[in-house]
Amino acid sequence: MTNSRVLEATGLKKSFGDIHAVRGVSFHISVGETYGLLGPNGAGKTTSISMVSGLLQRDGGEVLLDGQSMTTTSLGPKQDIGLVPQDLAIYPDLTARENLRFFGHLYSMPKAELVKRVDEVLEVVGLADRANDRASEYSGGMKRRLNIGIGLLHRPKLLVLDEPTVGVDPQSRNAILESVEHLSSEGMAVLYTTHYMEEAERLCTRVGIIDQGEIKAEGTRRELVELVGQQDRIRITATGVQESALDELRRLSGVHSVSPSDGSLELLVADAGAVLPEAMRVLGSQHAGVSSVSVEEPDLEAVFLHLTGKALRD
Amino acid sequence: MRHAWTIAKNDLSLRARDRSIYIIGLVAPLALAFIFNVVFGGGISDVGETITFEVGIANVDQGPIGAAFEDVIDSIASEGLLTVTTFGSAEAARTAADNGTVGASFILPEGLSDAVLGGADATIEVVGNVDAPTTTQVASSISEQFGIGVRTANLSVATAMASGALSPEQAFAAAGEAGTATPAIEVGSVEAASRQLDSAAYFVAGLSIFFLFFIAGMSITSMLEERREGTLSRLLAAPINRQSIVAGKSLASILIGLASMTVLVIVSSLIMGADWGPPLGVAMLIVGAVLAVTALMTAVGSFAKTPEQAGNLQSIVAVTLGMLGGTFVPIAQEGFLAKLSLLTPNAWFIRGLGDLAGGGISAALPAVLVLLAIAVVAGSIGLVIAGRALRL
Ligand SMILES: Nc1ncnc2c1ncn2[C@@H]1O[C@H](COP(=O)(O)OP(=O)(O)O)[C@@H](O)[C@H]1O
Ligand SMILES: [Mg+2]
Repeated sequence: MTNSRVLEATGLKKSFGDIHAVRGVSFHISVGETYGLLGPNGAGKTTSISMVSGLLQRDGGEVLLDGQSMTTTSLGPKQDIGLVPQDLAIYPDLTARENLRFFGHLYSMPKAELVKRVDEVLEVVGLADRANDRASEYSGGMKRRLNIGIGLLHRPKLLVLDEPTVGVDPQSRNAILESVEHLSSEGMAVLYTTHYMEEAERLCTRVGIIDQGEIKAEGTRRELVELVGQQDRIRITATGVQESALDELRRLSGVHSVSPSDGSLELLVADAGAVLPEAMRVLGSQHAGVSSVSVEEPDLEAVFLHLTGKALRD
Repeated sequence: MRHAWTIAKNDLSLRARDRSIYIIGLVAPLALAFIFNVVFGGGISDVGETITFEVGIANVDQGPIGAAFEDVIDSIASEGLLTVTTFGSAEAARTAADNGTVGASFILPEGLSDAVLGGADATIEVVGNVDAPTTTQVASSISEQFGIGVRTANLSVATAMASGALSPEQAFAAAGEAGTATPAIEVGSVEAASRQLDSAAYFVAGLSIFFLFFIAGMSITSMLEERREGTLSRLLAAPINRQSIVAGKSLASILIGLASMTVLVIVSSLIMGADWGPPLGVAMLIVGAVLAVTALMTAVGSFAKTPEQAGNLQSIVAVTLGMLGGTFVPIAQEGFLAKLSLLTPNAWFIRGLGDLAGGGISAALPAVLVLLAIAVVAGSIGLVIAGRALRL
């Protein structure tokens, strides 16, 4: 088990003066896993991954990469990480190819391999046809993709992406998410930070919910949802609902509560898929006129709200 | 070290696309040197009445030639162009010129008159202070003119007669000899004995080392710019030592500095007729100066947090050291300032070039060593501090 752990971070701490940016963050990532750090701006995501990548000296805790301790001066573990910083880290005066070559040299890639790999990466991030144009001429999305390309150039064991889709048009965003999925399917371990719930849900095997420098909860989406006891929510707009119908609905198994308000009903249930046909049957037999039904499955947004009492985005 | 080179290469290719490097490294120093040389670099007539040159004289000769030379100096002094200090020994005059008490000293050695009148070669030695190139040039041209004068029978005879040291017969004999092909005083030996740097070379040297500070400063400012632009985080995340980042940036500055100085020396020789002295010695001094200045500016800049801060700090240092070191005007001719100037690579570079012109490569070695020492000390400090200061 430990052998497959690419990253093991325990008790990470970092303060900037009076600001306790990170206060004891722990998580681990295994081969082929995509781990998400989901939290709002200022939660401590960038600070955490800066310690993981050896950019920032930590005040406490330990980072093990493939079993080796990572510090700001350790070169071995750094070779295993590909960092994609939140802010663009490319030379605008260089072309995509020149940018990739330069960073490839810093990772001591052999010349022949580098030449081949640069072409591969240009293909992966969709910049092959613009490879010899200066990055300053690229669109925002293209710059983002080059930024990611540099991170995965040297085939790191762990790819660290810090909010890679911020400020990106929907098309580029989708391209970025697809390439992360692709890399993950090839077995690369990924650490992905975001404040977009949908991205975490789509990409991540496991998610750590981070706020105010602490991981509030961690697990697969299902685990998180169960952890906070969240339920599916069925909303039915209907007329002529009798009190007897409500009683019958409450008696259905898996239904926790039924609350009527003028012209509509709200049911909290364990599994909407199982309850919904039953509920429709009851309403039909009681001659209620149903005009619309909506089902809300709990998401990480709801989990976050439950854990912190605030919305992810404010 | 391999990574330092990778970073240096990248830096060079980025900086080569920036026009300011050519202005700082070539255009500005050349243009200013050209102007300075036209304004200040000519002979006495150009400098005119407003400036008085401080010269010293040690007349150990005690003969008629020495007396005549003193008369010539006195007459120039009476026109207000020279102030003259008389020294009792050659040593005292030499020391005074070395430490800048006077701008230049004439030394009329023992037996000068005898030698001249006996038809042998003789030398009026001119010792110039390296920080007083104009005075030194004036002094040289006076002794040169005197040498030419002595060679003519007229002056030779008149001098001898006036001094009363010769009988008319002896004077005629001397005149006869002086009129023959053998010159009484070798002009060439006057020049060889002087520690003087050609004025065009002086101005180019002073200005090129001044602008070198700004080229050197780019090592730190480009690092701070990378922090601002975000690329520094990639360099820090890469499996390389922080010191090799600083070293790579400095290496780029060193290479640009060497190129700039070399081109300036060659171009000033070709178009301004600057005489720099033996190329090997010049090369050694340039290497020393570039290393010293780059190391110094890296150390200074490592205290800054933003490119603007670094730029300001470095400008202050460049201008202060430039003034002290005699880049703009050779002000530091005496006393405290002269001593203070020895803390600057500027002064050592110019002094080294003066020594080179006067005494060859071996004479310039002390200056080269001092420059290298500055480079080692400042460079170590700079590498450590700048390496540590490197963070996001
Ligand atoms: N270099 C720094 N100096 C001072 N405060 C910082 C620094 N970096 C981050 N912080 C603070 O630490 C907290 C966490 O920041 P960060 O890790 O960037 O959050 P996130 O990436 O989740 O948005 C914030 O309050 C931020 O203001
Ligand atoms: Mg962040």
